[in-house]
Amino acid sequence: MSNLDTAMSEPGAGDNDDFEMVLDPKVQESIGRSLKAHYDDIVNAPVPDKFLVLLAQLEAIEQRAAGVSSDDRK
Amino acid sequence: MTANDPGSCRSTAEFRATEFKDGLIREIPNLRAFAASLSGSMQLADDLVQDTLLKAWSNAEKFEPGTSLRAWLFTILRNTYYSLYRKRGREVQDSEGTYAERMATHGNQESHLDLADFRKALAKLPEEQREVLIMVGATGLSYEEAAEICGVAIGTIKSRVNRARTKLAELLSIGGVDDLGPDRTSAAAMQRVGSESVGS
Repeated sequence: MSNLDTAMSEPGAGDNDDFEMVLDPKVQESIGRSLKAHYDDIVNAPVPDKFLVLLAQLEAIEQRAAGVSSDDRK
Repeated sequence: MTANDPGSCRSTAEFRATEFKDGLIREIPNLRAFAASLSGSMQLADDLVQDTLLKAWSNAEKFEPGTSLRAWLFTILRNTYYSLYRKRGREVQDSEGTYAERMATHGNQESHLDLADFRKALAKLPEEQREVLIMVGATGLSYEEAAEICGVAIGTIKSRVNRARTKLAELLSIGGVDDLGPDRTSAAAMQRVGSESVGS
């Protein structure tokens, strides 16, 4: 990350090549903050119950299967 | 559920299954955020996360303990998106607009406008740039992990990130230091995004 940032903020490098275009470090920082704000906003949103229900169901199915096989051993 | 069942001594397999399940639960918020960033729709994102969890569960034995569960799950989610959801994503966005316009934000009110503008700009990036920018810039994955997830070289990831940042700066009209005052950023972004909302 830091190597890349240093390379990118070097002025005058490759200004005729758009993917090596120089971005001001402050611009990069601003974009970085917005990216985190966008992402964390969703990360911090409540998780719908359906996902926990789904995983509990999957686990129950597996435990039932495991229960059957351990009963066989007895 | 059956944890306090007195007679049952839990087997190793059961223990591993529970551990795996807890790992999946911990990653759900990140999966939703990545899925929403990819598909541009919260509704599609949740369908995508559900598919990802089902696939992860049925392929649990392929996960190598000690490696990054997040990277493994992102790989599944991304493959699922590109094989099944990409087209639907465009249709949903066309008919309902992106989640940027509809989604309730959970942060503070002040940042609401900025966030909505940023999301509109993010949605305009080519997918290959958007996904790596999110992976590297927001999820905590390394360039190496992003390269592995996308199946490309690290150098490719780096140049995609560069291009994505440059394009975002352009879309948000924050190309120079002068545009970057705390109050002027959103004004410039609004103006720019508003006038370009029909194009590209």
